[in-house]
Amino acid sequence: MQISSHIGSQLVDLCSALLLLTCFAIVAQRRLSACVDLFALQSAFLVLTAALVAFLTGNHHIYIAAGLTCLIKVIIIPRVLKKVIERLNVKRELVMNVNVPAGLLICGGLVMLAFFITQPILPLGFLLTRDSLAIAFAIVLIGFFTMIARQKAVSQLVGFLVMENGLFLGATAATYGMPLIVELGVFFDVLIAVLIAGIYTNRLQDAFDSVDTSHLTGLKE
Amino acid sequence: MAMIEVVVLLIAPLLAGGLSLIIHRSALLHAINLTSMSLLVASEIMITRTVLTDGPFTTLGQLVYLDALSAFILFIIGAVGLACSLYMRSYMDEQVARGVIAPGRLNMFFFLFHMFLLAMVIATVANSVGVQWVAIEATTLTTTFLIAFWRRRQSLEAGWKYLILCSVGISLALFGVVLTYYSSLHVLGDVSEALNVSQLLPVADRLNPHVLKLAFIFILVGYGTKVGLVPMHSWLPDAYTEAPAPVAAMLAGVLEIVAVYAILRMRMIVDHAVSPAFTGGLLTLLGFASFVTAAFFILIQRNYKRLFAYSSIEHMGIAMIGFGVGGPLGTFGGLLHLLNHAFAKSMAFFAAGNIHRRFHTVEIGQVHGLAIAQPWTAMALMIAGLALSALPPFASFVSEMQIVSALSAEGFPGQRLTNSSGMVTLALSDQFSRLGLTGLFLLCAVLAFSGLLYRITGMVWGTPPEGIVRGETWTLGHLPIIVLAAALVGFSFFLPQSLRQLLEQATQILLLH
Repeated sequence: MQISSHIGSQLVDLCSALLLLTCFAIVAQRRLSACVDLFALQSAFLVLTAALVAFLTGNHHIYIAAGLTCLIKVIIIPRVLKKVIERLNVKRELVMNVNVPAGLLICGGLVMLAFFITQPILPLGFLLTRDSLAIAFAIVLIGFFTMIARQKAVSQLVGFLVMENGLFLGATAATYGMPLIVELGVFFDVLIAVLIAGIYTNRLQDAFDSVDTSHLTGLKE
Repeated sequence: MAMIEVVVLLIAPLLAGGLSLIIHRSALLHAINLTSMSLLVASEIMITRTVLTDGPFTTLGQLVYLDALSAFILFIIGAVGLACSLYMRSYMDEQVARGVIAPGRLNMFFFLFHMFLLAMVIATVANSVGVQWVAIEATTLTTTFLIAFWRRRQSLEAGWKYLILCSVGISLALFGVVLTYYSSLHVLGDVSEALNVSQLLPVADRLNPHVLKLAFIFILVGYGTKVGLVPMHSWLPDAYTEAPAPVAAMLAGVLEIVAVYAILRMRMIVDHAVSPAFTGGLLTLLGFASFVTAAFFILIQRNYKRLFAYSSIEHMGIAMIGFGVGGPLGTFGGLLHLLNHAFAKSMAFFAAGNIHRRFHTVEIGQVHGLAIAQPWTAMALMIAGLALSALPPFASFVSEMQIVSALSAEGFPGQRLTNSSGMVTLALSDQFSRLGLTGLFLLCAVLAFSGLLYRITGMVWGTPPEGIVRGETWTLGHLPIIVLAAALVGFSFFLPQSLRQLLEQATQILLLH
């Protein structure tokens, strides 16, 4: 029993660490579609972590949340984002306010900050997922940083989604999942938010297009 | 208890929203809207009665929790919502007639409007802090398209900024909710009710103070973004300028207040476990940051919608100072100030909508002679402006006086706890800081007052520019302006019995430690 719980805790830690690693990859990645792929990968790790926690603790409602994550964050949202990118026809490299090495360095600092802030409250947590709360907080901070550091609408959206992943990991790790009604609501909100943002980027594009065409006819007459 | 009223409260906007999707006739859409709003107000009045006689209660299987505070917020939602609905009757029809909004999109506007209302009602009555979070995020999602309803480039930009900033802010609040759950699990066990206010309040003193402190900071920053507190306010002036007038009135008059309510709810729980000086200090700090920043920005505004937007930030800051300083006076003043601000600001945006329709500009410098061109609107603008600068015949003078006297009596929250080195220096520094803070408060109030009135008088007097139609025909949209103006003056002399009781009980709830 002792050994199996020890291994379980190690496995959960490993999965959470993989989530954090993909965060760094997203910060280092310049191509937008690759960022979306990395986000899908991160969500897959999140599903793995949640399923692992569900299996080890026997809390079956976490399986539901894991299933929904798989459906929404691994399949639907990346597809929507890919469509948006295709339509926007973004071929250029991403515009970044901070260059990659500096960004990575800052993210390293953010991880230390996260561990420092959560230190006093960690001993309260369950043994199995104790370190994951700090990692989740780090992921939230890195997502936040990504939103500030990038200028394109879609990459800001990816930053937002990374934050959401961190929050979900936090909820799973710290409390073995939120009450089901809250969790369903959160999924619903995230999905709608991404759809709205998708429509929005299209409209932004349309607004610019229509401005251009009216300008052209004006010159002819 | 009062189950039917609560069901009506939730079903009316839902049904109205659903109907709006399939109906396309403008008259019918307005009729549905007004019916649903009236039902909402009626059930709100019934709920207030129940709360006043029987105290807080839960219903619908623990999903709904209602007390005097939430009944008070519902009252604001109902009153401002009804005023907006009446105003929309003439405003939206004219927008359609002028071709600003395609007739086919009118039902979409009403659908989003009803969903927005529904989300705010849920955020107010929800028992679970988690459900409240979901509802507040839903308000962001429903209003982004309302803000960008004109689909101009600027409005799309404002809508995008709003969506991104508020979603991120709200995500931080979710982390706060997770942390609250984290602390309550140890006391209440792994039950789905562990986030319910009705369950948390009785055991709140046993929750872990470290976790709750962290949770409160996250929730304050998160919902503070929705309130528009400095430094999380940068989306607000853009969104208020680009949104159609009724939407801006709803954002300024209701949504901000629902977000304040969410912060106060959380504070009630945290204050049981941590000294109230902690939450009070944070609220006062953010309140002063918002008040001071907004007072200076009011001075330099050249766009009247932005002027009102910054005035919103200012007044939310004042209310926050009231809640932060606390005590019966500060808390009562803060609540009354929320009500006054909701009424005055929605009125200001109604007037702004009328001006924009006539002058087709948002530049203050291009609007003159409003008293000749639109006498009713000019009067509304003057009354709203005077109320927003908190001059004596208006109720906002009363609430601001209460807040500033609470501030001068209590000083910055928690000072007595942090300064424990020697009694004499303590008394001295305490005196000085109280004096300084009160002075700062009054200085900013004067700045905001002069800035606001200078701009408004410039718009009202003078002769209208060439080509502007003179005279104003009476429409249904003028009714809410008159009623709101009467309420703003009336409340300073005489608060209706039930409203006073509601405010007093809400104050008691917030003070109960």
